[in-house]
Amino acid sequence: MRDNKDSKLYWRRLDNSAKIFPMSTGKRYSTVFRLSAVLKERVEPKILEEAVKQTLQKYKSFKVRMKAGFFWYYLEYNTKNPIVEEEQDYPCKYIDSRRNNNYLFKVTYFEDKVNIDIFHSLTDGNSGTIFFKEIIYTYLELMHPEVLNEEERSIRKIEDYDTEDSYMKNYDKKAKSNASGKKAYVLRGEKIKLGAISTIHQIMDLEALKQESKKQGATITQYLTAVLMYSIYQENYMKAKGRKPIKICIPVNLKKYFPSKTMLNFFSYITVEGQMNKDQLDTFEKILDFVKQDFSKRLTEEEIIKTMSTNVKIGTNPLIRPVPLLVKKALVRLSYIEIRKYTTTTFSNIGRIGIIGKYKDYIDYFLMLIAPEPVEKIKCSSCTFENKMVFTFTSILQDNRIEKRFYEFLRERGIKIEIESNGVLDDISRENKSKEK
Amino acid sequence: MIYPEKIKAKKSDKIIKILLSISIGMALILVVINKLTTPNIPWAALVNAGILYSWVVVMYSIKKNINIAGYVLLQTIALSILTIYIDYKLGMKGWSINMAIPIMIMIANMTMLVLTIVSYKKYIKYAIYQLMIVFFSMLPVIFVTEHMVQDKILSVIASGISVLNFMICLLLCARDVKEEIVRKFHM
Repeated sequence: MRDNKDSKLYWRRLDNSAKIFPMSTGKRYSTVFRLSAVLKERVEPKILEEAVKQTLQKYKSFKVRMKAGFFWYYLEYNTKNPIVEEEQDYPCKYIDSRRNNNYLFKVTYFEDKVNIDIFHSLTDGNSGTIFFKEIIYTYLELMHPEVLNEEERSIRKIEDYDTEDSYMKNYDKKAKSNASGKKAYVLRGEKIKLGAISTIHQIMDLEALKQESKKQGATITQYLTAVLMYSIYQENYMKAKGRKPIKICIPVNLKKYFPSKTMLNFFSYITVEGQMNKDQLDTFEKILDFVKQDFSKRLTEEEIIKTMSTNVKIGTNPLIRPVPLLVKKALVRLSYIEIRKYTTTTFSNIGRIGIIGKYKDYIDYFLMLIAPEPVEKIKCSSCTFENKMVFTFTSILQDNRIEKRFYEFLRERGIKIEIESNGVLDDISRENKSKEK
Repeated sequence: MIYPEKIKAKKSDKIIKILLSISIGMALILVVINKLTTPNIPWAALVNAGILYSWVVVMYSIKKNINIAGYVLLQTIALSILTIYIDYKLGMKGWSINMAIPIMIMIANMTMLVLTIVSYKKYIKYAIYQLMIVFFSMLPVIFVTEHMVQDKILSVIASGISVLNFMICLLLCARDVKEEIVRKFHM
């Protein structure tokens, strides 16, 4: 697609998952996720900008802007160039496309780190990672042509992709909803002021974490979900004398279940629902056993198809489709806070980010972050690169006891962890201490 | 350190908030002065209407990447409302709907025609605004049929020019118009 009249005529509908995001999004609900690569050298802004431009030529589904139609939003070709600038704001903040040449993603850098914040209407974490990896590959090739040219020619190829709505292709019209009607325990605590977001990265030794999970007969995702549920239970739920279940939403990459090459959203989720009081989930061992069982019950193709199909049926409902966008938007906004009350937190593990050949030598580790919201005040995400797994808490809560308990728990089990943060909670605790004096 | 130490607040937002507060303060002061000095002449309302119009234009203009056709539409509607308001405040002599609005519609349509001819390759960007301007340009026809205007000629010419303009645009850019309608109204 060249920048000719035909490419300018390009437009596409939003995929089924993407439809709800622009209706609910705003400064409080950004529905943005971030991927970062921490390199082993200082980022060159001009070269990064060139890398983003070249990557957009390869992945045109990202070279779009959002427009409002009469019934739905849609995406159309964006003739402008993307803006690359130094990181100035908190991660995963609302992307004001008017200040971003209309793009739905934003590339920023700070010292050795490259970030991309992506609005979820554009794509999901899995395809976002493919796009981001291409930016990093291209950037490194431009920075080190003498080292990487041969690698580029011999082993690197662009993954084949398309922009089909894989939900529509794979959903089951007859599937019935399996969603639990129970509201979830909502995390308590004072919020951070002025729209700040705290970010704490726990950089773990992957091998040690693998061994520990194996010892417990669990996968890494199951193990970390259990540690998270236990930390919430100990540090928030018990203190607030919670009664509702702790529900942890785990996004699932549907490409593992259905053949799809789409670069659009294609994910679903399972919700692990811990009835802490009723099932007496008061020790880590009990919680881990419960999580393992719940995963095996919910993480089946049949259950995933049910969840996915229920969501698709909402978007394709003949009574909903002809409702004008303005009315849809008002209804979604009014009901969104209530909808969110069915989840305590989300934990998204995008897994291993594979980088080929000599490119690896220039990268220290990757980060994945998702935006916290007024109801889901803490969100968790993780990704792996080589022997480093980074578990990230993004939070709008002033106290970090859940994060601390999570860290201490894993340390006690012999897993080495380094901490990186954006310092928001350090500033708050410093302010609180000076007020106490 | 992998994050900047201090996050910069967006200064432009602050400046706009300060200026907006000053405008509201000024508007209130003007109303008080008007009431105390010359309560029979509503000059404060006229000035405040001017301030409101300026803000509408400023808020739209400071957006990056504004669409010039959207700007033409905004100006046509905002100026029409402003002139009707001024006319109403000065005793509703009817000059706003007899002359001002038809003239504005003619200017808007001529601007759109020039835009279409000069940059017809970008017409898809303008198509939806062009349609809205055509709809808005039918307003003088309503004035005529409802016997709200004394001099019908200007109103008929204004709406006629609009229809003619739209037909020229259709001839030049029918594919773009169709494409834009499909996009905007897909279900």
